[in-house]
Formats: sequence, structure tokens, C-alpha cells
Amino acid sequence: MSLEASIAVRRGDFDLDVVLDVDAGEVLAVLGPNGAGKSTLLGALSGLLAIDSGSIRIDGVVLDDPAADVFVPPEQRPIGVVFQDHLLFGHLSAQENVAFGLRARGVGKAEARTIAAAWLERMGLESFGSSRPTELSGGQSQRVALARALATDPALLLLDEPLAALDVRTRQEVRRSLRDHLATFSGMRLLVTHDPVDAYALADRVAILEDGRIAQTGTIAEVTAHPRSRYVAELVGTNLVRGVVADGVLVTDTGARIAVATDPGPVFAVIRPQAITLSLSPDPASSARNAWPGVVGDIDRLGDRARVGFDGELALVAEITTASLDALQLRPGDRVHASLKATDITTYPV
Amino acid sequence: MSSRQRGRRSALPAPVLVLALIAVAFFALPFVGLLWRAPWGSMLDVLGQESVRTALWLSLRTSIAATFLAFVFGVPLAWLLARVPFPGSSAVRALCTLSMVLPPVVAGVALFFSFGRRGLFGQYLDRWFDVQLPFTTWGVVVAQTFVSMPFLVITVEAALRQVDRRYEDAARTLGGSRWYVFRRVTVPTIQPALVAGGVLAWARALGEFGATITFAGNFPGTTQTMPLATYLALETDPQEALVISIVLIAVSFGVLVGLRDRWLHGARAALA
Repeated sequence: MSLEASIAVRRGDFDLDVVLDVDAGEVLAVLGPNGAGKSTLLGALSGLLAIDSGSIRIDGVVLDDPAADVFVPPEQRPIGVVFQDHLLFGHLSAQENVAFGLRARGVGKAEARTIAAAWLERMGLESFGSSRPTELSGGQSQRVALARALATDPALLLLDEPLAALDVRTRQEVRRSLRDHLATFSGMRLLVTHDPVDAYALADRVAILEDGRIAQTGTIAEVTAHPRSRYVAELVGTNLVRGVVADGVLVTDTGARIAVATDPGPVFAVIRPQAITLSLSPDPASSARNAWPGVVGDIDRLGDRARVGFDGELALVAEITTASLDALQLRPGDRVHASLKATDITTYPV
Repeated sequence: MSSRQRGRRSALPAPVLVLALIAVAFFALPFVGLLWRAPWGSMLDVLGQESVRTALWLSLRTSIAATFLAFVFGVPLAWLLARVPFPGSSAVRALCTLSMVLPPVVAGVALFFSFGRRGLFGQYLDRWFDVQLPFTTWGVVVAQTFVSMPFLVITVEAALRQVDRRYEDAARTLGGSRWYVFRRVTVPTIQPALVAGGVLAWARALGEFGATITFAGNFPGTTQTMPLATYLALETDPQEALVISIVLIAVSFGVLVGLRDRWLHGARAALA
């Protein structure tokens, strides 16, 4: 299974022109700020918006191709959508919401109810079948929306800002459960988000959208380590480490030890490159609880900033001004010390 | 009652209160006068009269038929006005709701000269289909539909404009055809407006007088509806006029109260 999309849409002053591929079983995150064209992209894929040129195919079947005068309406596309505000139908119960797509596709009432009940059970919501959407929490409502979209067995699942409608406290919990549920779905998944953390947590590959164009695509590790523009660097160019915290120390998957100020348990940690200080000699008087010796790796100059690779106990990218880079006269292979305050590390429970 | 509420109540300016109370009295006094003179003792006798029952039955049949027609044509019209942008849509809207503000007699005259037997279009109805509307029960239905449909149209149009169309989009991505989405998502969403518009249209049809008497005439059993019978009875038998009036008031009041509950209930559900 695969999605091949080449989409050009013009709406007033804004135009979207992107090429995207999603492979079988893959989760692609389209990451970009508001106004970058994420909603337009989802509209074009789901068929709520006709494209002006290009083509959209799933498994070689053309869904939209203006040149060939083909347009498959949304109700006939093998695509499920989880909307940002979930958009559960207020006049229907949770179970009726999940059964909606099956009923719309001609499945009998009794059978649709049975399948919907099974989906609710799978989402851990078996006791909420008769609840109205207003009686559900944000996380529950999202799981109903996910079940509703998956119940018709789509080849491609689209998720529009799946975590944006939730408050900060429920967000982490829902992110984790969403990741587990997405993992059980074998089709293609494409999510759009403005939050890099969602992309890290949920996706295999990321496409950065900027003003209607794809600025960069790649695996998350590639894009975070080597952002190709200042824009991408600011959006996602960060250090990402997975590991387990015990006694204020995060031991990474590669065995490195990082002092953190977080509760114990498995986490992934985000270290902003700007938070890392590089110096030629260790500073014992510093308050930074992390200090590692190492060598300078690649140096990328992006305008007045430079992204400096650091190889030590831990591989990191530090971002410093080109002025300090020149003052320190750093070159690849030079010995340096990287230091970092424990409080500058943001962790997310896995 | 909290002190804050008391404070707010005492802050109501006296002139406003006086004028508002005069308005209330203005609406209440005619009913007091009518109920005061009502022949309560002979109520059932009057209601049992053949002429009254005939008028009541005719009114019910015609007003329900008019409401049905208002739904059949009015909901698609409301859809067109709310959802399809086209040049001159505001002119079309004005035209389709003109009969709401037009003096009903004028509406009757207009219907007579267009759909009457010699009317611009009526002559063909007569010649080609052998259909005559004036002075028939169908003429009553046409007159009632003409004046009542706009109430349904503007109510439903406003509701359609307020519908969050993303829900309809969501339903389409789930595999719903346009018609399926309309039935399963749009109609339940605008249900309070459909009920309110339908009841308003029905009440207007039930009370219709001017257009009916001008276009359909005043024949007992065929075109003499309750309001016509009331007006006529005032000349011959005022007791009968009072009884029919009380029946109409009771029906209207019941509808208004029922509508208020349904409307608020529906609106609350839609907001939640």
C-alpha cells in the first residue's frame, strides 16, 4: 500500500504545492506552523477540496487528477479522518458515532452496532457506548473519533492536530495512548501538527511544511540532526534522547548519563541546541550539572548562527552564534567541553 | 434571593417599568374582555354545531396541507438561499419572503389575477389540466401556503447558515453521500429550527384570513375556515364568534408554549 500525492492548490493569495509519499505501515508527520497549508493539504487528500493540478493516488488508484478529469468524492475514498476538534455528532451516542461510517456504507444496523461495540472495547471505552459526546473527556472523545475513523477500515488515516484540542495535563497521557492505538493500525497514517513533540512521539518520518512548500523530509533523526534551513532548525532542529530516569539521572539507550530534574521512569528528553554551552576547557565553578568532554563534529553555518556537532559520551548538536564560533576558532576534530543545566532538559514520559 | 439580585431589580428605572406594564396590559386586556363575555355555559353546544365543526375540520385539513407544502418546497428553498451563492440571491430572498409583510388581501388579489380562472397562469391550469383554484379548498391551501411558507424558509435558512459545516465534512469522509449526510447530520442539527419554522408556518396558515377570502371566497365546507367563520358569525351570532375565537386562542397559546419548550430544549442540546 502506498500514497503518492502531488498536490497543487491555489486559494486566493495562498498556494500549496507539495509532493508527498507515504509507504505501507508508515506514520508520516507533516509539521508546520499555522497557515503553512496543513488544513488545505488534508482537505485535498480527503477530497473535501479539489486540487488544481497534480494527482493523488492510493495503491495506484487515482483519487484526484484534474488533467485526466478524475475526482473521487470524499465518501468514496478509502480514507479516514480524525479531526482536530474530533467533530463527534452531538445527537448520536458514542457507539452510534462509531457506527456512522458503517451505516453510511450500507452495513446493517445490527452488524454496525456489533462492530462499533468491538471498536469501543478495543479503545477501552466499552462502558461509554451510550454516552453522548458531551459526557466524554477530551481523551475519550478522541478515542471515539479514532474508532469512528478506523471502523470503516481505511487504507489511509489522516489525523489533524490530534493533540491540539487537549489541555496540557491530559495531553501527555493521550499522546501515549494515541501512539499505542496508532501502532495497532496497519494502514498508512499521516498526521499534521504544529508541535514537534507530537511528531517525535507519533511518527516515523517527518515532512516540514513552510508557506505551502515542503522544506525538508526525512526520518526524525535526520531532520533534527541536519536541518537544511534556519526555519527547519528553529522548528525541529533539536536533540532528542530516549532513556530511563532513576535518581535524577537519565541513562540513555546508548548508555550515556545525563543529570535531569524529572520523575523516574522511561522518558524521551528534548535538549535545545541553544541550551548547550561549548568551551575549550572545563569550568568547575559552573552551576551546570552536565559537562562532557568530546570533539567537534560537523559545523553548519545558518546565517548568524552555527550548528556545531559534538561527539562525546553523548552525540549532540549545539547552536552558537557565528561570532562565538569564530572567537573559539572551532574546527571539526577539535577537543571541546559541552555543558548543560539539568533544568534546560525537557522530558516527556514515554 | 441574593442581595445582588435585589440591588439589580431596584435599579430598574420607573418609566421603563410603567411602559412595560402598559404593554403587558395592552396584550392582556383584549383576552380578558373576550373571556369575560364568553358563553361558558353553552360552549359545548356551540362547538357541537355542524357549521362550527365543518369550519374547524376544514381549517385543520388546509393548514396541515399548507404546512406540508411549505416543508416540501420551503426546505430546498432555504437550502438554496443559505448554501448556494448566486447573483441576485438577496433579491430572490426578498421576493420569497415578501408575502410575510404584504397585506394578506393584496396577496389574495395577486393570486386571483395570476392563478384565477382568467388569470395569467390560471387560464392554462384551467384549459390544460382542468384545474380551478379560486373558490376551492385547494385555493385555500394555495393562499395559506403563499403567506405561511416564508416563516419556515427564513427560520430554516438562518439555522442552515449557523450549522458548523465541518460536521457535514466529517460525515462525508465517513462515507456518507450528500443525501445521507443531510438526513443523518444536517436535519438533526437544524431540528429545532424545522420544528419552530413548521409551527410558525402552521399557525400563520391557521389564522389566514385576507388572502383566503379574496382568492378562495367564503363557502361553508369548501373554503370557509375558522377565521372566516368567526368574522361572519360576529354579524349573525356573536356567541359563536366568541367560542370559535376561544378555540383559536387556546390552540395558538398551546402552540406557543409547546414551541418554547421544544425550542429551548433543542437549542440547549445543539449548544451543548
